[in-house]
Amino acid sequence: MPASKLIFIFLLAGGAGFFALNVQRLVRYMRLGHAENRTDAPLTRLKNVLTIGIGQTKIFRDPIAGAMHATIFWGFMVLTAGTIEILIQGVFTGFSYALFLPRPVFQLYAFSQDVFALLVLGAIAFAFYRRLVLHPKRLEGDKLEHTDALIILSLIGGLMVTLLLTNACQYVLDPSAIGPEKAISRGLAMAIGAVDPQPVVAARVFWWLHVLLVLAFLNYLPYSKHLHVATSLINVFFSNTSGPGQKGVMRAMDLEADVEQFGASDVEHLTWKNLLDGYSCTECGRCTAACPANITGKPLSPRKIVINTRQRLMEKGPVVTGDRMEFLHPALLHGEGDDAGATTATEVLTEHRLLDTYITEEELWACTSCRACVQECPVSIDQLDIINEMRRNLVLSESRFPEEVQPAFESLERNGSPWAFSPADRANWAEGMDIPTMAEVVARGERPDVLFWVGCMGSFDDRAKKITVAFARILKACKINFAILGQEEHCHGDPARRLGNEYLYQMLAKDTIGTLDRYEVKTIVTSCPHCFHQLGNEFPQLGGNYEVIHHSTFIERLLQDARMPLQSGEGKGLTVAYHDSCYLGRYNDIYDAPRETLRRALPVVDLIEPKRTRDRGLCCGAGGGRMFMEERVGKRINVERTEELLATGAETIAVACPFCMTMISDGVKAAQSDVPVLDIAEVVAGQLVSS
Amino acid sequence: MKIAVCIKRTPDSESRFRIAASSASIDETGLKFDIDDFASYAVEVALQLNEKQGPGETVAYAVGPDAVQETLRKAMSMGVDRAVQLKTDAVPYDGLAVAKALAAELKSGGYDLILFGKHAFDTSAGIVGTATAELLGVSCVTAATKLDIANGRGTARRELEGVAEIVEFPLPAVVTIDEGIARPRYPSLKGIMSAKKKPLETRPAQLGNVRVTVKSMALPPDRPPGRIIGEGTAAVPELVRLLQTEAKVL
Repeated sequence: MPASKLIFIFLLAGGAGFFALNVQRLVRYMRLGHAENRTDAPLTRLKNVLTIGIGQTKIFRDPIAGAMHATIFWGFMVLTAGTIEILIQGVFTGFSYALFLPRPVFQLYAFSQDVFALLVLGAIAFAFYRRLVLHPKRLEGDKLEHTDALIILSLIGGLMVTLLLTNACQYVLDPSAIGPEKAISRGLAMAIGAVDPQPVVAARVFWWLHVLLVLAFLNYLPYSKHLHVATSLINVFFSNTSGPGQKGVMRAMDLEADVEQFGASDVEHLTWKNLLDGYSCTECGRCTAACPANITGKPLSPRKIVINTRQRLMEKGPVVTGDRMEFLHPALLHGEGDDAGATTATEVLTEHRLLDTYITEEELWACTSCRACVQECPVSIDQLDIINEMRRNLVLSESRFPEEVQPAFESLERNGSPWAFSPADRANWAEGMDIPTMAEVVARGERPDVLFWVGCMGSFDDRAKKITVAFARILKACKINFAILGQEEHCHGDPARRLGNEYLYQMLAKDTIGTLDRYEVKTIVTSCPHCFHQLGNEFPQLGGNYEVIHHSTFIERLLQDARMPLQSGEGKGLTVAYHDSCYLGRYNDIYDAPRETLRRALPVVDLIEPKRTRDRGLCCGAGGGRMFMEERVGKRINVERTEELLATGAETIAVACPFCMTMISDGVKAAQSDVPVLDIAEVVAGQLVSS
Repeated sequence: MKIAVCIKRTPDSESRFRIAASSASIDETGLKFDIDDFASYAVEVALQLNEKQGPGETVAYAVGPDAVQETLRKAMSMGVDRAVQLKTDAVPYDGLAVAKALAAELKSGGYDLILFGKHAFDTSAGIVGTATAELLGVSCVTAATKLDIANGRGTARRELEGVAEIVEFPLPAVVTIDEGIARPRYPSLKGIMSAKKKPLETRPAQLGNVRVTVKSMALPPDRPPGRIIGEGTAAVPELVRLLQTEAKVL
């Protein structure tokens, strides 16, 4: 065996071995996280890998960068076959897929290698241009991140160039070795042949360069944000498979469990999947670019949350697993925020943790839980899950939260609503409307078809009470047999849950389930998306199972069935911009029902969409308990959103959530505009034939 | 330092109160009870003092039926080390009777400091703290808005109308706490869990003679409804006239 072959085999085994060693270490660190079953629904997981992963569907949400990435990604998949062929050739000279592939198939394969090498090269050139000239805001990282990206781009570019040159030299040496399908290589060969008609040395050099680049690329990955090349498809496979509604459900939590730690303050309190998320982030910044808090200048960046998780794991993992090899390499430790800079193992273990050292309280409280980050991530990372778990730790373990949250917690405990209203006033809105309470109906020995869950906003907030009245009028006009709980209703605890106070949430939720079950409630309709999501999607965790319908869907059905006595006649045309509620839209995929409701109820309506709409819609700023906190940093989210809505030139802004109503109304006032903000129920009620 | 905090269980101040059929008490149905706001300030002050001063013990006391155990647990979930319930069927209105029960219990406790709320929201009498001090024969400072302890002596700040005074006193002492001194901490789940395991003793209260009782209660008269004079600038002259002649505030 020639020496070069021995060296090649030695290098190949060494390169693969070192990569395997690093993979094993990364897996060991990852296993510091909590166990979690992520192998259910294998078909959905496979489908996700094929669509989101291989199909790059989420990458294409940004069409230009998407096309660039997909070209490189698909090119990689195709060219990996070629790389394997070349590596085998290193051991068995003369090996070729042509030996066993039918000729047309091999020709197609050879053609694809040539074409994709050129396409990838083009995409890499664009990537360089984008990074060095265009500087998209979302790619802004620190210097290390930037260098890392340029190294990887250079490596990929180098791989393509050496591949094409190797092929070209081979063609010059032996025109029968490369078929006509590799036209690009052949073209390149003409240029090489002109310089060196016998490029024997060049052929060897390019081949070796290519092989060395392959091994260098492979072993650079674990030290780079581009580890995502290896982990993304795996991450997509293990990502949240739940459908609408369920996907936004917060983790169940056993408060009776005899544990010292509630929620997460460090990496081992997260699940292995949260840690795999850290390995899978390539810092594209799409999450942060969509984050309402970040857009308006708050300290939160969902990307930073994920990077910090990886950084902390790389700091703590080696110490805890007794790994002698330092993984404290710069590329994986870089990121946004201050460098943690621990020097001793003791410092790593006792003075550092994910919370405070890497992620601050202010970042966590800035989140509106709008799911825009989760929606955007091309590799299905769940940033919100980490934020939620860390909020739980802050409240349940450390009792740390913004000052203004405490009155909300105390009021929830004492008055059953996050505001200090008297529970006795809960059904005041219904006075004179002849709306029965559940207790009254049941006392008559009857059972209503539907329970109208009014919610705290709808019960106490002066503006939201008008929505409640409007929806109640619709129900009555359609002769729906419904009742309310009246003073027996109290908050289901969702605000407490979103604010990390699982204890208070479960107390309120279990109590509510007790009331609902006592009346054997089966169907609930509500005009609040937060109530809708909580009662319908999260109550099953605690044993409360009801059919819950949001009023947008409910009204749409009534309109479809033509059950509503609507004014006929054309009326005046109206331009309406509808603002998507996060808990209806991204949480529950309800985008069409409110729009369809408007279209059906208004004879002449022109629905116009704001710049960010549907699953890209910008949050109003009230979610995640932000409603109960002051917004002191940066631009107000509601103002940002309202400006977008007003920019459409709409004569009316429509919402389907009482929280959005407050935020957008305030935004309209701040903009000194007099565009009315109406709930879809109010729009529809305005069209009712007055009886 | 060994600190006792005497706390009271009172209804939430946001409640809509009704008078019970007896007309001498409020109707408790539907009311939410919790630790009195002033008592919760006292608990917070006690916890902060012991956190600052190093090893010590904070003990909560409450007079009342078994329902006060919930209030004592709340204090323990905030960080109080243990609690004592002085059991009675009902908390008498007569503050002196309550003070006697507390003094009988506290006199052998060896406390450096005994804290109370300035008064409780439900009676606003402010008797129990001062009377307990008198019965124990220790110095007493009322309505403190700041409290420091150093070298066996205390310094307290008291807000008066237009002026603040700083008073000094020797320990042991009784101090009643005014609002604004500290924001009571919100119990963490960890605190709530550990409070379940902390000792809560129950002993019969040795109440003094109850000499003062409530004869009857009355609700304040309804506020007259608001009036809308008009809208926009046109309404201003009429508003000014009414503010001058009717409300007499201008």
